[in-house]
Amino acid sequence: MLALQLLINGILTGSGVGLVAVSFGMIYSCTRVFHVAHAGTYTISAYFVWSLLLLGLPDVVAIVAGILLCGAFGIFIQVALYEPLAKRNASQLVVLIASLGLLAVIQNLIAMIFTPNILRMPSTMLGGVLNAGSIAVTTPQLLLFILAVLTVAALIFVSRNTVFGKRIRAVSNNPGLGVITMLRPRLVYIYVMGIASAVVGITGIFNGYDLGLQPYNGTLILLTATVATIAGGIGSIAGGFLVAVGLSVLQNLSLLVIDGRWSVAITFVLFIVFMLFRPQGLMRAR
Amino acid sequence: MNFLINYIVLAEIFVIAGMSTNILVGIVGIFTVSQAAIFGVGAYTVGGLTVAGTMGFIPALAVGAAICIILNVVVTLPALRVSGDYFVVTSFGIQLFASAVFINWTDVTGGAIGLFGIPSPEAFGLAVDTPSGMMILTTLAMAIAILCFWLVMRSPYGKLLKALREDELAVASAGKSVLIAKVSAAGLAGAFAGVAGGFYAAFISFIDPSSFELEVSVLLLTMVVVGGARTLAGSIIGPFLLLSIPQVLSLVDIPSSLAAPLRGLLYGALLIAFMLLRPQGIAGQRI
Repeated sequence: MLALQLLINGILTGSGVGLVAVSFGMIYSCTRVFHVAHAGTYTISAYFVWSLLLLGLPDVVAIVAGILLCGAFGIFIQVALYEPLAKRNASQLVVLIASLGLLAVIQNLIAMIFTPNILRMPSTMLGGVLNAGSIAVTTPQLLLFILAVLTVAALIFVSRNTVFGKRIRAVSNNPGLGVITMLRPRLVYIYVMGIASAVVGITGIFNGYDLGLQPYNGTLILLTATVATIAGGIGSIAGGFLVAVGLSVLQNLSLLVIDGRWSVAITFVLFIVFMLFRPQGLMRAR
Repeated sequence: MNFLINYIVLAEIFVIAGMSTNILVGIVGIFTVSQAAIFGVGAYTVGGLTVAGTMGFIPALAVGAAICIILNVVVTLPALRVSGDYFVVTSFGIQLFASAVFINWTDVTGGAIGLFGIPSPEAFGLAVDTPSGMMILTTLAMAIAILCFWLVMRSPYGKLLKALREDELAVASAGKSVLIAKVSAAGLAGAFAGVAGGFYAAFISFIDPSSFELEVSVLLLTMVVVGGARTLAGSIIGPFLLLSIPQVLSLVDIPSSLAAPLRGLLYGALLIAFMLLRPQGIAGQRI
């Protein structure tokens, strides 16, 4: 039945968007930076794995290495761009513009090195399609869903139950006080950027297996993710994830009634609705 | 010689479009990436209305400007009610949505193929169909736009906009409506962008969705940032300087498939460099 297939699709792809939303929200709530270049990290993750696969590494190794490389990339961005800007007391607008510039650099650099055409992962390991009755699901979709749920659960656990999580929340809440109490916010920002960039890499990599690689596809998924983060409530991991899944389900189900080319409109309209009626989001954590 | 005239005309069109960005980003301090979308709406409106001979150029321009003003006001109203940050998401949404509309609303926009054969502008009964004639028209338009920009900035309204960036709370406690000021600034920016788009359509005579993508918004942002935000001089220097880059690049031997991403890369790199080293641009004030 088509509606059920669309629902399943929505949940599965939505879990990937949820990871993007959660990771973006982590960065925004902790460092106050609207890290637009997060879309670039999403995109480059698949290209990391593509290159490693071409070098002959087995899939599992390439995927793990790709995720770690994304984390390193995020740390590089924090240290090379956001920290120097913070030192210059740059306004939020300046940081935003710099982040946008970085996104343009990443996307176009990828297009220059790897061509703007859609690439396929040079591997058949994750190529299967699983069927349960009339519902079809691709292996990368299923793996992404499982990993996403596990990752979000782990992030919530760490945030609530570990000292590390408390430290992040403390610095998010009051960076000035964090400096005074020797929590070292600058180091926390590096941790957060690293972890968040690695998490978004998971989605990028598995979407790369599922749909192919393309330099400019990060912007659209980031839009849905940021809408989810804001609508879910800044600072709420569960909120962002659930809204992302919900948005994705709605986008997919809307295919029953409207043409797929307009699905970006759904996200956009929903955002406007949220802004009008519940601007603080579904579940505020702060 | 034609080559130089074409460069000047295009630069002047982008000066007008750049002023739109400057109002929002530079003066009011709202980050936006939807300039190209509004620019495109203006272009498609004028193109669509003039190509079938439905309207003359100047009336079509007026319609385009009106649509763009309304569009900008309608989309900024809900987002700005809450916080400037959320407008970032809204502007991304507008840009991506507009790109989708340009490509998919084939009846009106011609889809991915675009609109052909847009006639040269007709001003007060005189057809303008030589490049130098076009240059005179755009220089005139740019002069009018500059005058408007200058007058607005010197008016009490302009001072209100500048005060908004300094301290929103102070403006609110002085009894001025912050929301109305921001939304009207967005409307004004829409007018500039729409008019620029109309001229662009008439000049190039063929428009397609690729001219109004996110990267063009980035280009407009780069022009404002490099030239200098918040000042008139910056609005003029930026476009002229940035539009010379493709000309310089064409002297170097690059395969054509690399040319477009290379340009995008350079604009992004310029943004980063200026934000790190000289946020006020060449002739602007600190943003």
